[in-house]
Amino acid sequence: MRYRITHTTDYEYTGLVGHSYNEARLIPRECRHQQLISAHLEITPKETDFRLREDFFGNKIAYFAITEPHSTFTVTAISEVEVFGNDRQLDLSRSTSWEEVKDILKRDKHTEVLDARQYTLDSPYIITSPDLAAYAQPSFAPGRPLFEAVHDLMQRIHNDFTFDPKFTTLSTPVNTVLEHRRGVCQDFAHLAIGCVRSYGLAARYVSGYIETLPPPGQEKLVGSDASHAWFSVYLPNVGWMDFDPTNNQIPGDQHIVVAWGRGYGDVTPLKGVVFGGLDHELKVSVDVARLGP
Amino acid sequence: MNTQVTPATAPLAYSLGEDDYDEMIDSQGQVRPHWSALMQEVEQLGSAEMEVRRKEALKLLHENGVTYNVYGDAGGSSRPWQLDPVPLMISGEEWRNIEAGLLQRAELLNMILADLYGPRELTKKNLLPDELIYNHGGFLRACDQIKLNGHHQLMLYAADLARGPDRKMWVISDRTQAPSGAGYALENRIVVSRVLPNMFRKTHTHRLANFFKSMHDGLTGIAPPHAESPRIVLLTPGPFNETYFEHAYLASFLGYPLVQGDDLTVRDGHVWLKSLTGLKRVDVIIRRVDDTYCDPLELLDESRLGVAGLLEVARRGNVAIANPLGSSILENPGIQPFLPGIAQHFLGETLKLQSAATWWCGQPLEMDYVLANLEKLVIKPIYRSRGNIPVLGHLLSQAQLADLRDHIRANPAFYVGQEYLSFSTAPCVTAQGFEPRKVMLRCFATAGRNGYEIMPGGLSSSAPEKGDMLISGQEGSISKDTWVIALEPQMKYESARNIGASETIIGNDHALPSRAADNIYWVGRYAERAESSIRLLRTTVKKLYINPNNDDPDYEESLQCLFRGLTNLTGTWPGFQGEDDAALLKSPESELISVALDEQRSGSIASLLRNAVRTGYSVRDLWSTDIWRVMEDMDEHLAQPRQLGENALWKLQEILDNQISTLSAFSGLSMENMARSNGWLFLDIGRRLERAMLIISMLRNILSTQHRDGVEAQLIESLLDTSDNTICYRQHYRSYFELSAALELLLFDTSNPRSLAFQIDCLKGHVSKLPNARKGMQRLGAEERLMVEASSMLDLANLNDLLLVSQDGIRENLDQQLSRLYYLLNTLSDAITAEYFRHDSSPQPL
Repeated sequence: MRYRITHTTDYEYTGLVGHSYNEARLIPRECRHQQLISAHLEITPKETDFRLREDFFGNKIAYFAITEPHSTFTVTAISEVEVFGNDRQLDLSRSTSWEEVKDILKRDKHTEVLDARQYTLDSPYIITSPDLAAYAQPSFAPGRPLFEAVHDLMQRIHNDFTFDPKFTTLSTPVNTVLEHRRGVCQDFAHLAIGCVRSYGLAARYVSGYIETLPPPGQEKLVGSDASHAWFSVYLPNVGWMDFDPTNNQIPGDQHIVVAWGRGYGDVTPLKGVVFGGLDHELKVSVDVARLGP
Repeated sequence: MNTQVTPATAPLAYSLGEDDYDEMIDSQGQVRPHWSALMQEVEQLGSAEMEVRRKEALKLLHENGVTYNVYGDAGGSSRPWQLDPVPLMISGEEWRNIEAGLLQRAELLNMILADLYGPRELTKKNLLPDELIYNHGGFLRACDQIKLNGHHQLMLYAADLARGPDRKMWVISDRTQAPSGAGYALENRIVVSRVLPNMFRKTHTHRLANFFKSMHDGLTGIAPPHAESPRIVLLTPGPFNETYFEHAYLASFLGYPLVQGDDLTVRDGHVWLKSLTGLKRVDVIIRRVDDTYCDPLELLDESRLGVAGLLEVARRGNVAIANPLGSSILENPGIQPFLPGIAQHFLGETLKLQSAATWWCGQPLEMDYVLANLEKLVIKPIYRSRGNIPVLGHLLSQAQLADLRDHIRANPAFYVGQEYLSFSTAPCVTAQGFEPRKVMLRCFATAGRNGYEIMPGGLSSSAPEKGDMLISGQEGSISKDTWVIALEPQMKYESARNIGASETIIGNDHALPSRAADNIYWVGRYAERAESSIRLLRTTVKKLYINPNNDDPDYEESLQCLFRGLTNLTGTWPGFQGEDDAALLKSPESELISVALDEQRSGSIASLLRNAVRTGYSVRDLWSTDIWRVMEDMDEHLAQPRQLGENALWKLQEILDNQISTLSAFSGLSMENMARSNGWLFLDIGRRLERAMLIISMLRNILSTQHRDGVEAQLIESLLDTSDNTICYRQHYRSYFELSAALELLLFDTSNPRSLAFQIDCLKGHVSKLPNARKGMQRLGAEERLMVEASSMLDLANLNDLLLVSQDGIRENLDQQLSRLYYLLNTLSDAITAEYFRHDSSPQPL
């Protein structure tokens, strides 16, 4: 499926900003099931010193400075991607048990496994704990295939937790989310990652988009008017498998990946340092348009 | 002459603990050979004289302003550097081994650093566990794949060494973030070689200066290729940092501008220094700011000590940072147990200098061992942060031990246990003679052009009391110089002069940061404001207490006029202008003392002195030793008690006299000893501007309103006394105090250094030398126009007009003219601030 994504971030300042330095992770990366056709950023006022590179996790990151004094700042990322949904939805109910996977992660020396190992560790937003392990326990029955365990975990999170944009902020700890059973897509992803890592397995955070307007007759998915987030788990010999606990589904051709990392902190869409500006008002809009199969 | 006598035994009363290894004497009580030359001299001097030398050393350090700041001190005050004059002696043979061990270790850590931010073979091959790296706060993913030019990544390295009971030297910890101490070691050397010159000459001790030359060469070598003569700056967190003295000291020794984060800015992919004369490209940064604080864009977003965008410039290879951002990963003590394996892997060698045995709790067996032996170990977090610092197990209570066990069990990979070595002892001078105290040695390596170079010596520290243990980086330890006996003869002298010579080799063009110019301008203003305030207060006190003239009907009125003038001039309202002024005017004593000594009171003399010293300290690198000594004196005036008891005004008068002397020494030294650089120019502009404005304020306050003749005469007398002009007046004019003559002297006499005309003349000259002043035939700049107007006003003024009094008793012309002059001066200050000191507003996260 082919999409055009338009992601606009708009800052209005009460004072004048003299200059600013910024980093944007707004251009979708390429991966097994996704090809980037084209992408560009439109920045107002005009940026100086623009440079595109890849970060530690291989995400596309744009650095730019703005030296012109301004009181509004707009970044619009426009990209076209092709998503191959079938590649993501494999029948893996008979796959390796989670204990075996844990063991492989410890001992295997293949590059892919070595790279996956870093995602078994705690990270700034996600500290594993006995509470997380206890919540996940019913899903991780001994000998259960990893895919099945994680699929079950995803369903349980979807059923047990209430989507509530008012309850959490960017810095709400996973334990609070667990305790109150509320949050948004980002919290559910963090929570699931913490659960999976509690069992010695590799899980990472994926940020991206889902299709805004569903095809006729289908329901509109939650999280479609902004950035969306889900999580991904490493399966040896298969690769990384995505799970979306917010919508209780295995992402197919409606999920577009932008970036991944250990947690939200690694994939912040736009950050910067401004000199001046006082207070600001922020508006974000995302439009994902289907261009055809 | 008894120089042939070899002391066979230790000095009297040098008693050792049973199991301790002593650096100076062996188990038979014999002085070890490499100590004998030193101890001969020590014996000759005698312990009383050694105590004298010790005090002399402390005095020198104090005068040189050598300090170590204590964090958390509300006043931000600094503590004098502690030094024991008896150096730690190291034989040439042993040094050869230590040096070889340090060279190997520096190289090894360098390779680890390059690997961790490069291919990461070490974790892939399980030579280092993932958790030690990926979960360590010092591993900065944003710094991945950034490399300095050339082989060396770890440019500066320090290791803390101590000798265990088995006589071997062990590494206790590695310093790779921004190792401190090399500057203190140099200062210690200069001081000790001054107080013990004979000893230094006779022992053939290795010199230190070459080390700094190599450091400079190495730093020049990593500059980006485009930089022909690279500009190197030293980045400091600022005057509140604990080792700020050293930052300033090294910056001026090496000839590098000392800068803070907001002195630098990123433009067009390069780093620039905001100097007085515009933006200057920076090629190399020695950073004394912790890496996570260096860039609020990519690292810690709340940091105010860094430079936004710095990391991106480093990534493009347009600036070299030493040590590179991310180097603190090597300070992770969890790496220690894995070093032997890594040494085999990278170098095919065994470790020449071993780390004290260390167990990383991330492995089950090791954790069990640590938990079982907690009382015998030093427990260290793998990443230091607030509240996470090393502890000695045997000093903990049972409850604390249990608590620590819980922490370790909850997060084992975060802790190591390290063998607690009973360090060796070395002699320290005390008032009672020599005492053996535990010692530790910090050694320094720098990557020069031809590989690592080790400072021959280092910074030793000894425990504050006999029997005390020592932890690395501990507060309160006493430093020592370290003498490595040369196996071959050395150059003759090592003195400040010698080092001064190397300064000219190293030299760098001194681009004065705008912030530094701003500070130095304010030092001039504060110092002058303090002096003028003191003068007026002293005159008032004299009139009130020393020379009261109660019989005179005009005395009371003129005194009250002075009181009110004092409040206005110092800005210590309400003071004598307040609602209960009647009571205050009757018993003014406590108010006068408060204006002088209450540091918390804005405008008080104490607060002005404090501001002058603090502002001066933030540009510590720009002052000579002599000037700094005077600043230290100013600081000491602040230690006055706030209650003076009996005869308070008499004592106050004495305090004020001393303060005047100190401030005069400061202005004298800055006139006579400072090069006429931009720094001096801004200092003197500050001083002249302030003095001119205060003259105006004083005249307007006291003379704008007409008083009866008798009162006026007394006021004029006081004004002349305040400005030190009484004698001058008497020489030129009659003995009766007359307004027109006084105004002539205070306003128009260009030969009187305390007249307004004199200040305006100076300022007119100064503004024409400002960096952006007009060149050749250009039109006058804003600053010059202001001073031309001020100067013409004085030239054209008619004294008789100024003396005219309106019907309501006001000298309107005088007041208006002075008011206009004040406005011109104030505008000049604003213009200079806008043109030269403009700072960015402070950064904030998007």
